Amino acid sequence: MSTISRRQFLQGGTLLAGALALSACGGGSGAEGNSAESTDQAATNEGSTTQEAAGGLTTVEAGKLTCISNLFFPPFESMNESTGDPEGFDIDVSKSLAEHMGLEVNWLPSQDFDTLVPTIKNGGKADIAIAGMTITDKRKEEVDMSDPYVDSNQSLVVKLDSGETASSLDSKDKTIAVQAGTTGQDWANENLTSATIKPLSTIIEALNGVQTGLYNAVVCDLPVSRYQLKTYTDLEIVEEIPTGEQYGIAVSKDNPALLAAINKALADMKDDGSMAAIESEWFGSAL
Amino acid sequence: MGHTDRRRQRGLLVTLCAVVCAFVMLAPSTAWGLTTSKATARPNEEGGSSVIGGLPTRLTWEGTVDDGEEVTAVTLRLPEGGSFDGASTKVTVLQGLTRSELATEVAPEGPQLKVTFVDPATQGLLLRLEVEGMKFPAKGGDVVVEGTYVNQDGEKPLAASKPIATIANTPLQSLLASLDANPVVKAWNSSQFLGMFFKPQLLVTAFATLVPGWFLCLVIVLVAYPIAILLGLVFALMKISRHRVLRAIAIVYINILRGTPLFLQIYIMFFGLPMMNINIDNNVLGVIVIAINASAYLAEIFRAGIESIPPGQYEAAASLGMGHMMTMLNIILPQTVRRVMPTVTSDFITSYKDTSLLSSVGVMELMMFAKNLTSVSGNMTPYVAAAIFYLIVTLPLIKVVTTVEKRMAKSERGGGARPKVKAKDVAAAEAEQDDIALGGVVDAQ
Repeated sequence: MSTISRRQFLQGGTLLAGALALSACGGGSGAEGNSAESTDQAATNEGSTTQEAAGGLTTVEAGKLTCISNLFFPPFESMNESTGDPEGFDIDVSKSLAEHMGLEVNWLPSQDFDTLVPTIKNGGKADIAIAGMTITDKRKEEVDMSDPYVDSNQSLVVKLDSGETASSLDSKDKTIAVQAGTTGQDWANENLTSATIKPLSTIIEALNGVQTGLYNAVVCDLPVSRYQLKTYTDLEIVEEIPTGEQYGIAVSKDNPALLAAINKALADMKDDGSMAAIESEWFGSAL
Repeated sequence: MGHTDRRRQRGLLVTLCAVVCAFVMLAPSTAWGLTTSKATARPNEEGGSSVIGGLPTRLTWEGTVDDGEEVTAVTLRLPEGGSFDGASTKVTVLQGLTRSELATEVAPEGPQLKVTFVDPATQGLLLRLEVEGMKFPAKGGDVVVEGTYVNQDGEKPLAASKPIATIANTPLQSLLASLDANPVVKAWNSSQFLGMFFKPQLLVTAFATLVPGWFLCLVIVLVAYPIAILLGLVFALMKISRHRVLRAIAIVYINILRGTPLFLQIYIMFFGLPMMNINIDNNVLGVIVIAINASAYLAEIFRAGIESIPPGQYEAAASLGMGHMMTMLNIILPQTVRRVMPTVTSDFITSYKDTSLLSSVGVMELMMFAKNLTSVSGNMTPYVAAAIFYLIVTLPLIKVVTTVEKRMAKSERGGGARPKVKAKDVAAAEAEQDDIALGGVVDAQ
């Protein structure tokens, strides 16, 4: 009996391997992008391209811009309370992007933040990850990042009147909740070296945990904590941490044409005011 | 900040330093033109939280330009053995929380890194240098980043940073470095599938770092399960009890716990109890949740087991003058234990695997460690390593269940299929026939 189950286990493994290898093959793309001009100093090497937007682009699903994200990150992305549809700043950006690129936007269900970069790297499932994702060198080793489209900073959130500060939290008996794979986690690992860092799937779990006393603090992106604290009224931001980080959109390294088209579309959105319109819708003013 | 940092001297100098610092703070004329706000390093120990010397990491240095100053260049200097060679530097200039764009030129050279500002950085600006790929001295120890800056009056020293604790290379890290350099490993990792799920470096790291999480899983389930068995037995007996109230309580308990996901039960317990000011240690709470959840399933298993004992056994016990309690303890339960053993083992396997759900509320168990490692490496290998850790426990148990089930089936067949065996193989060994005959007598009761 046991040999059968072992064999079945192995067969299962082989099947899984095959399926993954197949899906990995689907991600490749040959289209080339002409480098023209760089719009921002932090831009990746691929400049913006030309008119081939609609016709020349290879996407996972033809004619569609397939997007993935972690949909528990308001106001950048969340799910509509009644319909469950994705909504938020990044969702509006993705719609506008697709419009500028002559594509239709297609949102996949939410997934954990730390799986976004591997998913885009492996290809075949989604074209872009647009998830309030900071452009970092580590991420650029795995995937291409678009030109920055939002400036962000970090924040330290604690329970109201808890008296905690960045220095009091850097202690062995303090637990800091972060969202796994975020720059908030990096900041906590680097600056709160004595504390225990707990990486969680969503920022909501982290904030709930601080509210109930499970964790002492949360480190997360400042725009997110500012937005969340409208509902979490018993929490406060004790420290706004200037990091000057910038969000970018993750695109597979195998698809430089798509990256170029996205950078072009982002620049167009800045020029024609659609970016400012989305910013004022979600943040009350253009950023 | 720079002044307070000076207090970090050790030994007898502490008091003296404090006095000096206080003096320095009182004398505005000696204020720094560029105040060092902080210097930190990203932990570069795979699966750990230490900063290892001699291996590439990222140094983040921040300084604020003081009132009336114009800074045109900053030079950072590492102690001997440290190196900025080959590092890439990102300079971020911030006014409060807003980025300001300043053109810069960066020149790394050995232990020195010079950042020149084309237009001078003016007062109030926060200069943030992120140096990716720099190396601290290989021997480890507390590293202080020093340096100089250039303002309108010329070159001046920077206040020393708070010391950054670094360690020398560990054997594990050396092994990883040798794997990194191995051409076979390189070829293996170049396959997208193998590199993503079975990266040797990460397998080694994961095996070394996941162990505490694995132990916690085992401890949680091993402590929780005996509690669950007792609770389950109590509720099973309540459910078959003659008293309506006891039955009702058991039914509600079992149905609610079996009818809701464990994930939800974990959330309610972990987020709900603290709100009622009931604060229990996370690991203890984990044990409680797993025990309560398993007890509901065990109650059903035990009830089914008890009810599967033929009524003849009760009648036989009654005919011997045994009471209900005595019948249960001496006749029914011992037989039940044998029957439910495989199912209980399967349920134990389920509970063991269910401890993984506790990672969602920050219990540092196996999944949590794997998730942590995956989130820093962007690779799925730690999950594969975690799977292996789960399988180390579950595979032998599955084998046990299978063997026990086989034996039970055989022993039942031994009684039931006797005539067939006889008809098929009349020339069976005599000893065996005796056995069968004996079995037949017992079974015929």
